Amino acid sequence: MSNGSASSNGQISREMTILNKHGMHARPAAMLIKTAGQFVSDIYIEKEGNRVSGKSIMGLLTLEMYQGSIITVHAEGPDAQDALDAIEELVRSKFNED
Amino acid sequence: MSVQVSQFFEQAREQFQLEIISGAEHMEKSIKEEALNRPGLALTGFFQHFANLRIQVFGLAEQSYLKSLAPADRKNRLAKLFQQKIPCVVMTRSRHPFQELIDCAEKYRVPVLKTPMITSRFINQATLLMENLNAPTLRYQGTMIEIMGIGVLMEGPPGIGKSETALALIERGHSLVSDDLTVFRRESTGAIIGYADDLIRYHMEIRGIGIIHVPSLFGVSSIRRAMRLDLVIRLERFEDASQFDRTGLNTETIELLGDQVPLLRIPVAAGRDIAHVVEVAALNQKLKQLGHDAAKELDEKLMQVLVEKGRA
Repeated sequence: MSNGSASSNGQISREMTILNKHGMHARPAAMLIKTAGQFVSDIYIEKEGNRVSGKSIMGLLTLEMYQGSIITVHAEGPDAQDALDAIEELVRSKFNED
Repeated sequence: MSVQVSQFFEQAREQFQLEIISGAEHMEKSIKEEALNRPGLALTGFFQHFANLRIQVFGLAEQSYLKSLAPADRKNRLAKLFQQKIPCVVMTRSRHPFQELIDCAEKYRVPVLKTPMITSRFINQATLLMENLNAPTLRYQGTMIEIMGIGVLMEGPPGIGKSETALALIERGHSLVSDDLTVFRRESTGAIIGYADDLIRYHMEIRGIGIIHVPSLFGVSSIRRAMRLDLVIRLERFEDASQFDRTGLNTETIELLGDQVPLLRIPVAAGRDIAHVVEVAALNQKLKQLGHDAAKELDEKLMQVLVEKGRA
């Protein structure tokens, strides 16, 4: 489960698709920042050229990530790879919804 | 349950303008039921289901009935009543009891009180007072503040800044209910009322200053004797940010005296103006009580928008 470049301190990125029916509303956004907050790496979420911090709940909500949206998750830091894996797992699990 | 006649008298004295007619030395008698009783039927000699554990109220009807009896009968009937081990007698409308009643009361060591109130009103208010005297109480470690009509209890580990936050809130015009230790009482309406222990009421301990008397420093508007509890705020050390709810959607509660009270956990980090955060939390709670939950409403709106776009 590792695409994207993976130098230990450089930025790595991975594309993910939002799967849950209700998209990235407040509860999934809170779960995402909770997951992101467990890593020291800087994490950013990007959609259609807009990029916000993966640790900002209001920022995440403005991206309007609905079912089928493709987002790019960027991580930069010593545990970037683990962070991307954890976020991908969360997105795939549909944030325990549906 | 059990309330001593003296306790009832102390609490009720002012409100009901109670006076002791006789039996001042028997005030330790205990009242074992909250409700009050009018002994009309018992005076006729009928004692089935007689509520002898309650305060016995002599109103106009009882007095008139006793008056209609011959003195020997009166004495007889009253003796039978007092043999039932009643805790105390209250005469309403400031009526003075018959001498036979006082004699019996002395013989059976029962205090006799009087009030100028009319019977129905006295019974209503005395029942409420008895309920409150009997209400379960709880002593709880925490500082309670009234913030614009919302009763907020702040709890947290020692030294996290409960008293300092309370002080900042008082300076912003809110009122202190109690510092560091709050007593809670559950009323018959279900409301949980917080107040300070009598000894330490309106005092606070501020590290570096010591004990202060709040109304002397900040005026009488800075204090409040008792307040309904609406919200518990737990101040926590800001160690792991991921432990805190960031949306306000996951409402936690804490059980106090059998009731669930909303609980907010607020991380305390250097540079955070906790008093301000607590103030906003109280206002937000007020809004929720009025039926307006901002987090929930925004979330619903978001879901609607996202589902529509997802379908498109």
